[in-house]
Amino acid sequence: MAIRVNPSFIVTLDKYGAEDVQLCYQCGDCSTVCAHANEIFKFPRKSMRQMQMGLEQKIETTIEPWLCYYCGQCTEQCPREADPGETMMSIRRWLISRYDFTGLAAQFFKSKTMELLWVGLIAVVTGVFLVMYGLSNGNIAIYDGVGAFLPSTFVHSFDLTIGGIMAFFLLINALRMWYFIMVKGMEIPVPWWLYLKEFLELPVHFLTQKRYAECDDKLDKKVHMPWIIHFGLALGYVTMLILVMVFLVPLQAGPEINWSVHIFGYLASIGLLAGTIYFIRHRIKKDEIQYQKSHSTDWLFVTLLFFIVITGIAQHIFHRTGFHEWANVTYVVHLMAVVPWLLRMPFSKWAHIVYRPLAMYFAAIQESATARQQKFDDTLSVTIK
Amino acid sequence: MRTGVYFCQVNDQIQTNIDAIAKYSANLPEVETVQNLGVKPKISIKNLTENLRSNNLERVVIAGDMPGYYKPAFTKAIALAGGNTSEVRLASFQEHGIQNGSSLDRAKAIVACATYGVPFSLAAVPGGNPVNHATLVIGAGIAGIQASLEIANAGKQVYLVEQSGTIGGHMAMFDKTFPTLDCAACILTPKMVDVGQHEMINLMTMSKVVSLRGKPGSYKVKIKMKARRVDINACVACGECVNPCPVKVESEFDAGISKRKAIYIPFPQAVPNAYQIDEEHCRYVLTDGEKCGVCLRKCPKDCIHLDEEDTTVDIEVGNIILATGYDLLDVSKIDQYGYGKYPNVLTSLEFERLTNASGSTGGRIVTKVKQYNKKTKQDEWVFSPEGLPPRNVAIIHCVGSRNRKYNAYCSRVCCMYSLKFAHLLKEKIQNVNVYEFYIDMRAFGKGYEEFADRIRQEGTFIIRGHSADVSMKGDQMFVRGEDIFNDRLVEFNADMVILAVGLVPSPGTEELSRMLGVQKDIDGWFSELDYNGNPTDTDKGGIYVAGMCQAPKDIPDTVAQASAVAAGVLGSLTNGKGIGSMSSLSLSDIEEKAKTVHAL
Repeated sequence: MAIRVNPSFIVTLDKYGAEDVQLCYQCGDCSTVCAHANEIFKFPRKSMRQMQMGLEQKIETTIEPWLCYYCGQCTEQCPREADPGETMMSIRRWLISRYDFTGLAAQFFKSKTMELLWVGLIAVVTGVFLVMYGLSNGNIAIYDGVGAFLPSTFVHSFDLTIGGIMAFFLLINALRMWYFIMVKGMEIPVPWWLYLKEFLELPVHFLTQKRYAECDDKLDKKVHMPWIIHFGLALGYVTMLILVMVFLVPLQAGPEINWSVHIFGYLASIGLLAGTIYFIRHRIKKDEIQYQKSHSTDWLFVTLLFFIVITGIAQHIFHRTGFHEWANVTYVVHLMAVVPWLLRMPFSKWAHIVYRPLAMYFAAIQESATARQQKFDDTLSVTIK
Repeated sequence: MRTGVYFCQVNDQIQTNIDAIAKYSANLPEVETVQNLGVKPKISIKNLTENLRSNNLERVVIAGDMPGYYKPAFTKAIALAGGNTSEVRLASFQEHGIQNGSSLDRAKAIVACATYGVPFSLAAVPGGNPVNHATLVIGAGIAGIQASLEIANAGKQVYLVEQSGTIGGHMAMFDKTFPTLDCAACILTPKMVDVGQHEMINLMTMSKVVSLRGKPGSYKVKIKMKARRVDINACVACGECVNPCPVKVESEFDAGISKRKAIYIPFPQAVPNAYQIDEEHCRYVLTDGEKCGVCLRKCPKDCIHLDEEDTTVDIEVGNIILATGYDLLDVSKIDQYGYGKYPNVLTSLEFERLTNASGSTGGRIVTKVKQYNKKTKQDEWVFSPEGLPPRNVAIIHCVGSRNRKYNAYCSRVCCMYSLKFAHLLKEKIQNVNVYEFYIDMRAFGKGYEEFADRIRQEGTFIIRGHSADVSMKGDQMFVRGEDIFNDRLVEFNADMVILAVGLVPSPGTEELSRMLGVQKDIDGWFSELDYNGNPTDTDKGGIYVAGMCQAPKDIPDTVAQASAVAAGVLGSLTNGKGIGSMSSLSLSDIEEKAKTVHAL
């Protein structure tokens, strides 16, 4: 099938951070040093080429960008300073906007103002709503129990509503990702049972992000620091999400500490705090290749998360130490950040929490399918002989 | 003729004072409008046409570092405006040797000439100083040798200064030349002998230019001659002195793959054919004569004078030819190829010496073997004729060339010599697999493409894809690359890896540039006056460039340029006009000249 060429694709991708693609002269050094490139998935060179050629429809269906974890080796090696690492990152941003059917993601990636406007708007709406609710039903001096400013049952159902909206969009986007990669992008048949066979990949990659750790294959360092930090961050994140979505009522109860619930909260907070501080620090210092170029969305991602963690910890401390008014105020501020954060998830970098493991899962299926096809082709050639 | 001057810059790094030039050009006769379009302007042809029409222009001058870049747009616009397309004139700063804002007056003169419609080279003719008929050639590689012979054969005196102990340069190290596969020595050594015997060539080896005074046409040059400590005229190169010498040093001529003594002759065909002392390693010299001195006792001709001292010579010459050549990029700083870490990763020059019949293995291509060094009490890897021939050889192109971290430019010769290596390997070793990892194959010269074709047909695996990874698993080296045309990632065993290392100006270039006042270009090579029209002259009158020191080039181009230089030098000696520096020409001189040419 012929592929339509979009000559201005490379200009479009400029907004997503891929600035130097045209410098690439296709030497293949990047693919050579990449720890993840293999016989079936060859990148970043090939992706660079597809971009140079404007093969928008082809890139839309590729899985390769998701297999890259941006260790920066390719960019370090690149003789042309074409920055293949950042290019892969930019393609991921663009893919997120492609998977998103609303077009919001594209707007966020393309315009910093647009994104800030949306986040600000949702924050204000949330804040006004929560304050109105609190003032009408409760007392600012009461944090929990009867007459509470923001009763835990209310916040719980509020969280679930927001979570539901987020999940709805995310699910559709994930389905679109599946459609692009596994239906549009596959040239060979994929039997349904391969989905079952490789299913384990999904939770494994979701929980361990182990491919990130494999990035250090070519490095002299034994441990890939970004992976450990990211692992802690992700683990803390998922734990916190479960706590908030399921165990919010015991979590908010107090002021005495319910260790069976709160211990998880503390551990998760440590992971989140360490992770966000690590990434913000490196993005400021720009000491490693992967942190040298920060898109506006990257900044919003880390700073907003950091803000959420700080306000979350603050309201917890205020509550336990008896400053109930302060606890309520910080709680409102905390939620003002949490709601846009959650609602933004399907349209932002955030969504990689779903896309990454899905991509590993799809990649495993594709590999199996390719191997199967190869076997089939081999038998065919034998019979012809 | 109603003229409009438009300034367009391509390179924002170059700091030329455009405003000053614009102000000046506005006062030139017939100039109606002067506009500065800035750096890398996006020219709208429609607007430009309007602009030309409203000013009623008959001639357009585009001024800038590379104005040719914008010529198509202006040509189209002037055609649309109903003007004459041949009246788009270029005032190119770069073409006439203006770099980094040097020489504002010349930039003005270039614009002035363009507005008169007079070629700059016709108006700016330096001259006037009487010319001394002797010529100094710095560097005695193939370029210096060729230029010296041309001039000397015309009956003019030549001083040929060479830093090392012999003439011949890099070409003497080569085995074969591409694309004809002629023996390099067979071409070079007769020329070297000619130089050595020529009555008009005063050969000064182990010498260096240390200072320069005077003006074009009569340069006073001070040359420091390092003590050779062996009498050239008496030494018959019998070699009696070599064996007893206790010092072993890596041989420069063999690109470090073999050892020589502290008293040595670089190679048997050296000119002058005499031994020399390496004073940095000679035990006698280092201890001020307290130790050693065995060579003195062995020499049957009494021609070794270990206490000889450096001397300086003052000469006066009219013209100076720079032919200082090149050096290999220090490849150990590109660590992914394992050079210096893995024994059988070689640079191109090392392989050239290995495959050369006069090399340490007698031309056998072998891998290194481990040998116990009694002195350092360590195993070391050396080439020995008993080594095993490699079964798989990888040749990696563009190592450090076309790479923004090292050399942004193409070194021009690597593709072809790499193909030549493949041929030599195939010729000397049966069933050897040769893998060439290349990015773009640059076979641009006469017979080169055919040569590349021939190598392909000999069964060399030519892989479109550069490798950035040489690794060692156990005793086996692996080269990983991407076979782009085949859409596969590949990994080959390799017993030997040859790196086609990029070229850099030789180390003395910087010093000479300062001493002689010759400009260098952005990559460090000597700047020619005009890349297209004056590729052998420099900014400074009476100083010329030939060969690699101007830019990477192959042997045919080097020889051609060397002969061209000789023509320029001889012309300056006989045309009676004298010579002068381009930089000493004043703006009013050029203006006057341009006006007279214009009037014709």
